[in-house]
Amino acid sequence: MTQFVDLAAPSATGRRAGTRGSVFVWANVVVLGWLAVAVGLLAGHDLLGLPAWVALHALLLGAVTNAIVIWSEHFVVALCRVPGPSPRRLALGLSVLNVFVVTALVGVVADVVVLSGAGGAGVTVIATIHTVHLLRTKRAAVLGRFGYLIGFYAAASAALAGGAVLGAGLAAGAGHWYVRLWAAHVHLTLLGWVGLSVLGTLFTLWPTTTGTRITERTVTAARRALPTLGAGLILVTGGVLAAQVWVTAAGLLCYAAGTAIAIVALLPTDTPRGPAAWMLAASTAWLGVAVLLDAGRLIVAGSIDALPDIVTTIMPVLAAGFTAQVLVGALTQLLPVVLGRGPAEHKAIAAVLERGAVPRIVAANVAVPLVALGLPRPVPEIGWAVAAICLASFVTLALRVALPVALRGGLTGQPAGEHSRGTTTGVLVGLIVVVLTVSFATGGRDGTESSTSGDARTIEVVLTGMRVQPDTVEVPAGTRLVLRVTNQEAMPHDLRLDSGERTPRLSRGETALLDVGPVHADRQAWCAVAGHRAAGMTMAIRVHGGHQHTPEDPGNGRESGPGLNLAADPAPGWTPRDATLPPATGTLHKADLRVTEREVEVAPGRRERRWVFNGSAPGPALRGRVGDQFEITLINEAELGHGIDFHAGALAPDQPMRTIAPGERLVYRFTATRAGAWLYHCSTMPMSQHIANGMYGAVIIDPPGLPAVDREYLLVSSQLYLGEPGSDGQVSKIGDGEPDGWTFNGMAAQYDHAPLTAHGNERVRIWVVNAGPGDTTAFHVVGAQFDTVYREGAWLLRPTETAGGAQVLDLAPAQGGFVELTFPEPGHYPFVDHDMRHAENGAHGTFTVTAPQ
Amino acid sequence: MIDIWTLVRFLHVLGAVVWVGGQLTITVVLLPPVRRILAVADRAELLRAVGKRFAIVTAALFLPIQVSTGILLAGRHGVTWAALLHPGYGRTLAAKLLLFTVVMIAAILHGIAQAGNRPAAARTAAITALIGSIGVVLLATSLVEA
Repeated sequence: MTQFVDLAAPSATGRRAGTRGSVFVWANVVVLGWLAVAVGLLAGHDLLGLPAWVALHALLLGAVTNAIVIWSEHFVVALCRVPGPSPRRLALGLSVLNVFVVTALVGVVADVVVLSGAGGAGVTVIATIHTVHLLRTKRAAVLGRFGYLIGFYAAASAALAGGAVLGAGLAAGAGHWYVRLWAAHVHLTLLGWVGLSVLGTLFTLWPTTTGTRITERTVTAARRALPTLGAGLILVTGGVLAAQVWVTAAGLLCYAAGTAIAIVALLPTDTPRGPAAWMLAASTAWLGVAVLLDAGRLIVAGSIDALPDIVTTIMPVLAAGFTAQVLVGALTQLLPVVLGRGPAEHKAIAAVLERGAVPRIVAANVAVPLVALGLPRPVPEIGWAVAAICLASFVTLALRVALPVALRGGLTGQPAGEHSRGTTTGVLVGLIVVVLTVSFATGGRDGTESSTSGDARTIEVVLTGMRVQPDTVEVPAGTRLVLRVTNQEAMPHDLRLDSGERTPRLSRGETALLDVGPVHADRQAWCAVAGHRAAGMTMAIRVHGGHQHTPEDPGNGRESGPGLNLAADPAPGWTPRDATLPPATGTLHKADLRVTEREVEVAPGRRERRWVFNGSAPGPALRGRVGDQFEITLINEAELGHGIDFHAGALAPDQPMRTIAPGERLVYRFTATRAGAWLYHCSTMPMSQHIANGMYGAVIIDPPGLPAVDREYLLVSSQLYLGEPGSDGQVSKIGDGEPDGWTFNGMAAQYDHAPLTAHGNERVRIWVVNAGPGDTTAFHVVGAQFDTVYREGAWLLRPTETAGGAQVLDLAPAQGGFVELTFPEPGHYPFVDHDMRHAENGAHGTFTVTAPQ
Repeated sequence: MIDIWTLVRFLHVLGAVVWVGGQLTITVVLLPPVRRILAVADRAELLRAVGKRFAIVTAALFLPIQVSTGILLAGRHGVTWAALLHPGYGRTLAAKLLLFTVVMIAAILHGIAQAGNRPAAARTAAITALIGSIGVVLLATSLVEA
């Protein structure tokens, strides 16, 4: 007995009148929508920062699961001549299923275990209901020769129920059972749910694509194949869960035998006709290849621990070669029947769906080895892109016919003959060429691992045993942290920071650098592969100590009081330090320097006790020319011993730089033999404390022939350490190099409150001396350029024909120099230490430039 | 500030605009109504005329301008033969040139297929050239960033 298969449901003639038809069309549109989402995610998951898992599940759990549910229902109703569910029930069931699928996907992506668990459980419930419904149908009706179909579908949906339970468990956290549960999940869903559904359907679908009859032999083969496949699947699942290599391998071979029964029974007598047939044939072949590969590699490896490695290879084969292709093939064959009215429309729709079929089939199948063979980058990426392009072009074509039918109930006039042939092929070829060249253009960048600066700390991190080792990293605050991440196990992993940066997905033995950047607060990192975080693959980065290069946090144990408020008003009666530098006069410079302790304003509104020369920090500026004599009398009126060191003079330090006790005085004589912007500072140990507490100043020795300018300013930069001089808190901050702020001329943000001035056409010279005690200064005027730079006794830049300019005068601690500039137009020009951590914490001021005079 | 290099870059961009924009206009704007309105014979005649004119503009103006300004710009950017293989600017430029070559070959194939009255092949080649050209623009955009 043979019979042609009529795939249309019994009531198909009245399709568009009834709701069932429109529900069915819409369900197919949903399938296409999921396919489109899958393609979009495949192409863009990296840009969006989503794991590849999402794209895979949009394809399998979204598109394929929907397709299987609606089409298995359809086949059962059409072929077994049993009444189907009411349209409303069908629509309700499908809607609930999709809600659960979306919930599961969102749950995993957003890392909300409740959602992923609920989604997985929901899919399980729907699959169980579907199974029970199918089994009841089987028992209730006289099914005829297509009864085997229900067996396939019931077994498949039972596998989905099991697979979804495992999936939900993985998302919720599987701990050390992760690998086994994961492998069982993969096999149950792909070989069970998808594989059984497809193979069962093939027994009826394949003959329609080849235009042959379904023979008794085929039906017998179908009845025989199911127990073989089912037994294989049970063995595989049990073997994986019990970690038994041979049981698993036997199960896989059993499953392969079942597939072989199907293939042999359906082996066509002549070559397949039409693209749908080719796609179905190719995808079934990929299923066989994947199963055999799975079994073979497992036997060779001899250990269940190799499964993650193996699955990494066969998963792309199953996803791109088998699942995606079989879905496209089936839809190519089936959609015309669903969407079209009468043979003419069937033909027209089929013509649209088959556009560019040959290049699509070729490219899709060439892509499979590219993605599966573990070739070096960017080959797999190219493969995925090609697969995505093939899938996308089909989705576009299918939506062009499905959407009008779903929305308007019929095809809009689009006679097939008017279509200019070759468009789809052109689009495919063009896109593939572009993908190839773009991947060539962006390739070869392996050497761009960001170079790490000196104070960076690189820590080795190993991913193994579903754990991140070490699981806690402690670094001092402000450390620039780089993680060198190596995956040491077969399961692919990555490492993702809470800020979103992450390594690529690493196979066994692969290593990648993950730049955490400066660490100022506790951070988290985890493996972003779905379920791995829940299984315990997390890592904490903890900060100990205070902050480097940032203001002290209030209340972290240091006795520094509240932090700086640079926007506060200065204390009443405050007068800014005059930054104007008067010209040098005379050749003998006699001066008294009295050391006292007094309260000075160190930041707006904040007065603290400081050790100062002549009442201010910095101390008085001295200025002379080369050859001038200096005779300085140091008078110690403070409570500790102090001394002085003039860099501007060259002499034996022994006597002049000695420490004098309170009440003593010493005379320091030197001749300025060399020009420059020199520092002077207290010479008593520990000098870091004496300098940090204000005991510094500048000596300017003009270089010979220094031209006159309209205005000259002197800025002495330094770090600000809040707290009582010599207190434990302040001393430890100074020792750690963790200032509370940065200043010009002794007070943070001083010249924001009292801007320096100039006129638009004036030439301005700014002398800068870096008093330290520890940080560099990168002096910069925002909006302006220097045409002259003099640093450490040398002209680095002078106005010349070459029109060169400079932006920063960079000074190590105790270095000095000057810059010259003319402001281009009236306005407010901030000047900063361009180490922005300094600028943002006080090393900041403003030039107010008014119209030229 | 407009100097001679602005002019060179302008000509290069203008050439790309005309070439890609011309293809897009023909494919997306011109062809659909032509197919709807004209009979098959008229259509073929019109398309052949349009194709011929576009080919002349390409060969006589577009290619010389694009190649010469391109070489000038690459020279100004300090690109050497060796630099073409270095990751980054050079490699992207090399990929762009490669893709441009493919586009030109597709355009020539389009002309041959059109002359041989093989509309499907001609259409395939034309669409390939169009999408390839857009890819060239994409690579050019990333060069500006680099």
